[in-house]
Amino acid sequence: MIRITNLRHRLVDIPDLTIDARHIAVIGPNGSGKTTLLEVCSGIEEPRFGTVRILGRPPSAVRIGWVGEFPDRTLLFSRVYDEIASTPRFRGRSCQETDERVRAAAALVGVSHLLDAKVSTLSGGEKALVALAAAGVDDPEVFILDEVDSHLDAGTAGRVQRAVQKSRAAHVLWCTQSMDTAARADLILFMEDGVVRHHGTPDEVFAKLEETCFYPPLWRIRR
Amino acid sequence: MRIDLEDLLFSRDQFSLRGSGTFNEGVHLVSGPVGSGKSTLALLLAEILQPVSGAARRHGISSALLLLQYPEYHITSSTIAEEVKSWGLDPDVLLTQVDLPGRANDDPFHLSRGELKRLILACMIMRNPDLLMLDEPFSSLDCAAKQWACKMIERRSKGITIIFSHERAVLPRVDAIWEMEGGALKALGSVPEAISRWQHAPPYLTYALEMGARPENIRLQDVREAICRIQG
Repeated sequence: MIRITNLRHRLVDIPDLTIDARHIAVIGPNGSGKTTLLEVCSGIEEPRFGTVRILGRPPSAVRIGWVGEFPDRTLLFSRVYDEIASTPRFRGRSCQETDERVRAAAALVGVSHLLDAKVSTLSGGEKALVALAAAGVDDPEVFILDEVDSHLDAGTAGRVQRAVQKSRAAHVLWCTQSMDTAARADLILFMEDGVVRHHGTPDEVFAKLEETCFYPPLWRIRR
Repeated sequence: MRIDLEDLLFSRDQFSLRGSGTFNEGVHLVSGPVGSGKSTLALLLAEILQPVSGAARRHGISSALLLLQYPEYHITSSTIAEEVKSWGLDPDVLLTQVDLPGRANDDPFHLSRGELKRLILACMIMRNPDLLMLDEPFSSLDCAAKQWACKMIERRSKGITIIFSHERAVLPRVDAIWEMEGGALKALGSVPEAISRWQHAPPYLTYALEMGARPENIRLQDVREAICRIQG
């Protein structure tokens, strides 16, 4: 359960919102406050006013796996293995457990062949996959993905989706510009000018967006 | 004006890229999965990387620009107005065009993800180079901004435009389609003939083809028109 009360932070203004769904897609125009909402929910930013509770706790007390849109900004280590191993190492897990976790996380995302590669030689999409493996390596309770699929082809984006679905995370908050992807979520939040303009099932939300380019292309063709 | 790829070969570690064919004037779409070599091909065509053997030979091209996937790499100035001036363009005119009025004195890094991409893309298109290479021009953009970018691209009346993209929802009208797979570049030919050969076609296009529709181009509107034609 995600509970947001009287949240006001930068342009985001959400008086009261309770979300009880696993796969939550956050959609809306550039600059509508999606990333700000995700940052507050991840604990990266403390809200200026109001509270966010995830699984009954403040975000900073929840194990969050965060993947940003620009993995270049968050990748810290020069070798893929070390990048994925960073969280278990920082948490003081044993070398053997770290190694097992790294290999399992890499296999789940499909980057086992890249473990010895230098991060600087990876393509943009491969970096996103490595960032996803690093975010998932220590069993996050909540996955937060900020337009990760922006730089991924359909096959790789599908791989990300399957990896996240298979995880044990209670919530997946996924900001995307792919409406065909958002259409498969359990719940959609459509943000505009900092407020949640519409929320509900894909059918409910997209019914209100039929006249806009946010309506999924596949739905438009099949109509 | 054209670029001839003459048995182009590039390799680095275990990855190698091969390509032959000609990029004539018009809009080309190079699609393919992540890591297939699209960005590497863009760097080779931009002459930032050198091939191991073969060549990408330019004919009649006197100016070229490459839009990088991550637009922050293009920033050279501390204000948006200075950034636009560094392209030799008038900030007032350009900022109106990209719908960023009143932002002239802001730091370019304070723009949202999509806004920065829009700004740099507009600067490049306004420079009107003979050869314009766009590496993932639609990533980070919302659907309205993607439609705006498509219109900007379609407005280029001459020169070679090469779009390297995996975009699956909003695409411009293109003249030719290419596919990259595991480092191998394949020319699918001119549109519309190339459409049925396109492995990485967006879902709406694949769906229409399966219904028996024959769209004239790859945009959603072309596909809707084609479906209307078969449904009467």
